[in-house]
Amino acid sequence: MKTTRSRLAVAAAATALALGLTACGGSGGAVGNADSTNVDPAGEITPREISWLLSRPADGGVITAMEQIAKEYATDHPGFALNLITTPDRPSYIQKYQTLAAANKLPELFDTDATPYAQKLAKQGRMMDAEALLKSLDLYDDYRPAALNYQRFDDGSLYMVPFEFQLEFFWYNKALFEQAGVQIPATLDDIPAMCTQLREAGITPIALDGQDQWPLERYMAYHPFRTAGPSFVQDLKKGDAKLSDADGAAAVDWMSQLGSSGCFQEGFSSTGYSDAQNLFTSGKAAVYNIGTWELGSLATDALDAGVRDDVDYFTLPVTSGSATAANEYVSPSGIGMAVNTKTFDPLVRDFLAFALKRYPEVYAATGALSPTTNVETTIPANATPLYERAVQQANDVGETTAMPWDTQLDPTSNTRLQQELTLLVQGEVTPDEFISTMDGVIAQNGPAAFK
Amino acid sequence: MLPNRSRLSVLIFLVPPLLLYAVAVLLPILQSLFLSFFQWDGVTDMQFVGLGNYIYMLTGDTVFWTAFLNTLGYLVICLILQLGGALLVASLLTMLRRGRELVKTLYLLPAVISTVAIAFLFQRIYSLEPAGLLNRGLELIGLGGLQTAWLSDVGTVLAAVSVPEGWRFTGLYMLIIYAALLAVPQELEEAAKLDGASWWQTFWRIKFPHIRPVWITTTIIATTYALRGFDIPYLLTNGGPGQASELLTTYMYKTAFTSTDYGYASTIAVFVVIECLVAVGLILLLLRRKADA
Amino acid sequence: MTTTMAPRRSAPRLSPQPPLRQHRRLNVHRTLTSIVVALIVVVQVYPLAWLFLTSVRTEQDFANGDPFGLPTGFTLENYSRAFSTGNLALNILNSFIVTSGAIVLIVVLGMMAAYALQVLGFRGSKFVRGLFLIGIVVPVQIALVPLFIDYAAVNLLDTYQSIIIPLAGFSLPMSIFLFSSFYEYIPRETYEAASLDGAGPYRIFAQITFPLSLNTIVTVVMVNSIFIWNDFIFANTFVLSDGLKTIPLGLQNYIGAMGKVDWTATFAAVCVSITPLLLAFLVLNKAMIYGLSSGGSKG
Repeated sequence: MKTTRSRLAVAAAATALALGLTACGGSGGAVGNADSTNVDPAGEITPREISWLLSRPADGGVITAMEQIAKEYATDHPGFALNLITTPDRPSYIQKYQTLAAANKLPELFDTDATPYAQKLAKQGRMMDAEALLKSLDLYDDYRPAALNYQRFDDGSLYMVPFEFQLEFFWYNKALFEQAGVQIPATLDDIPAMCTQLREAGITPIALDGQDQWPLERYMAYHPFRTAGPSFVQDLKKGDAKLSDADGAAAVDWMSQLGSSGCFQEGFSSTGYSDAQNLFTSGKAAVYNIGTWELGSLATDALDAGVRDDVDYFTLPVTSGSATAANEYVSPSGIGMAVNTKTFDPLVRDFLAFALKRYPEVYAATGALSPTTNVETTIPANATPLYERAVQQANDVGETTAMPWDTQLDPTSNTRLQQELTLLVQGEVTPDEFISTMDGVIAQNGPAAFK
Repeated sequence: MLPNRSRLSVLIFLVPPLLLYAVAVLLPILQSLFLSFFQWDGVTDMQFVGLGNYIYMLTGDTVFWTAFLNTLGYLVICLILQLGGALLVASLLTMLRRGRELVKTLYLLPAVISTVAIAFLFQRIYSLEPAGLLNRGLELIGLGGLQTAWLSDVGTVLAAVSVPEGWRFTGLYMLIIYAALLAVPQELEEAAKLDGASWWQTFWRIKFPHIRPVWITTTIIATTYALRGFDIPYLLTNGGPGQASELLTTYMYKTAFTSTDYGYASTIAVFVVIECLVAVGLILLLLRRKADA
Repeated sequence: MTTTMAPRRSAPRLSPQPPLRQHRRLNVHRTLTSIVVALIVVVQVYPLAWLFLTSVRTEQDFANGDPFGLPTGFTLENYSRAFSTGNLALNILNSFIVTSGAIVLIVVLGMMAAYALQVLGFRGSKFVRGLFLIGIVVPVQIALVPLFIDYAAVNLLDTYQSIIIPLAGFSLPMSIFLFSSFYEYIPRETYEAASLDGAGPYRIFAQITFPLSLNTIVTVVMVNSIFIWNDFIFANTFVLSDGLKTIPLGLQNYIGAMGKVDWTATFAAVCVSITPLLLAFLVLNKAMIYGLSSGGSKG
């Protein structure tokens, strides 16, 4: 028994050592050849297989376009192949990507949002400087500023390349609005009253996918974005602003009012994405907040004929004395693509030069909005007039974009915020309790994450 | 012990399984135990924090304690459904004259279906807007007043996520208990009946003591599985609303893969292991002592 | 024991009943039992039926119709979408390779370990048993990061082995316990007689223990196949290339933008993917139920 025990101790020590060593290996991501600002490395272009770890729909526009482009590139560069590894479910993707990062096994290209975690990778030099790369490829000026801004870290640095451009609208049902006698809300603060009136008419005011958390968190971002501007969440996440400040407290109060006015369907927190959308498309709910990635379902003849002519949209309402303009709202450019420094070589550069130049045209032909301004989106044949209008709206959007909070806050505070928001809107906690909980959690986790 | 065995034969039989087990299970566990004394996000350098993670877990982390209590509630509901349901159905089966094989087969079916489908089905069943099966059923029997969004109500969500997990595997436990009940010698039962014992009395005094060893095994399996339960709550509610259905395992998973705090997640995992070992110890202590009494 | 009722005290209550009445009561009892059993069976079978019905609904019907009623139309459109979006056949093949690989390890190694622990016996076997017990109580999620780092170090990532090893490792303890609780009940005399005939440990294993274990093997195979066939977490962590994706990963192909899921196609795929398991299950059912019972009742 005694020998077993001492043997175990030796084994434990050996393990510890092994783990420690790999961990150190993992942290020194930049060790090896490259420098994250050296965007034009010297050397031969030797075709090989490269991989892109991504989190996008398997048969979606981005993947289809990139597959086509990779094929074109491969005909001129025999031996080249682009291996697309997609995990569309975001939580599973994040687990996979972080595990790969910990083992220092990230592939040539990988998707990430502008999260604090990604910023750590950038700080270690593990991601190529995307601004320098795009400029050196002479593509930088093609991009919509809003699309690039969405990918930037707080310090303005850019490490991810956008592949989409989306606008988030409030879709609404004109017939239901008429039936309840309500108007498009002029300001955010009109929304609770609008909900009450719709409820009185027996209509579910807003369809919300509460299960995925981010849709409700969007609402939390809206009020402060209007009253204080984009700086609010940037200060909040570091602990420099508090929810107990005037702008924060007003937002919390507004969220609580949305709940008490019955804005969302009952049981919203357990309603999934498709179910929420179905509430709207089947004419049961009057409003639905979603982005242009749903144009195919909301502005084509795929939409139920019963509501097709009644659907319209409005953009994020302002507040009185709003700090941001009416044409500034959530205009995300999707999860971005980062370029791994360790594996960056003349081939990766050459492929990106080819692909990023070719991409906008191929992608816009699928009916989606390109992150660049140099192409026209093809309107599908089965589109309703709303499709074209939504696409045109993209040219009118302001440069300041309302950042979703889930990519802003540190992950621990974000998880807690999502949980507490549901409780706030369901009326399980008071605004004061909410504020003190969240300010406490952010104070504990935020400053450390953004050191 | 086999008389003709040699040291070599023991090693030949023992080393291959032990090797696989050491590589796949023991090594990662030791590595996690090691990690639990560090703060590490997988990207920056590891920082030794000593018992810091453990101290924070036990004294500073309110979510941890909520999750712990929820886990106990989850355990109780799973055990009632799995063991109680298994015992009930198994005894009903012994009374059935025909169709036992068929019933047994059908009873096992839910275990085959993937959790994703099960979670989605139950999301539909519990839904309020549009009304799901449960709420419609309530309306039908005149209890419309009890309708609620079962997965959004902080009062009902824990039970609502426990039921599917309990229900899925009750078939497996039922089979084990059923076999044990069949193994009870008929003579004992007959004798008790001749003595005029009621069905209930025969059950408690004759049958149950006889199947006690199996009962202990089944309880241990069901308990450790429930304490490690993850899929269904993770898929159905992801711990919400608030922390009302957060279990230690879902909390650990989030700590590791959302907050990328591998050190603290390992600390919670160490706690889950200890908790399981304590539970097994308690079960053995309670059920064995009763057997002796 | 808590139930200290005296059977004799209640005897007078039962004995005066005339045999006829007792008989009738028994009949009522039987009918009641049958009804309860039937109800329970409905509850158990319902999800599978629901799954199948949903897989033949039209998308429109699924979205707006009654999710629990009968479908308004019948369509195989979901199945063709399921096959065209993903690579279902390849996923099933991969799941088959992973499941059979892991199962072989679990069964063979489980039997070997149980034989060494239970039949051969050795000093320190209690300690080894305890080591294996740990595997039963550990939450698998925590092994992910260490395992990933270890696999990366030895270049095992993105191989069948990288999924098979942890799946087999974590299921091994349960298999060892099932086998050893079964071996406990093979009478010692059987072994002693064989030993006297000059049989060594290998021959005894091959000629006595192994043939007697068949039922338990079926049990171990079926119980573990269910878990391994549906495993998501290890496969998602260790598999990168499309060519190695198992069914649970393949189901991810039906997830669209921002988490919008093509549910009817998913359910069609689920129906296809559980069919092999279901068939095996029904074929082996009799053997399994017998095996599970004999393994358990002796534990």
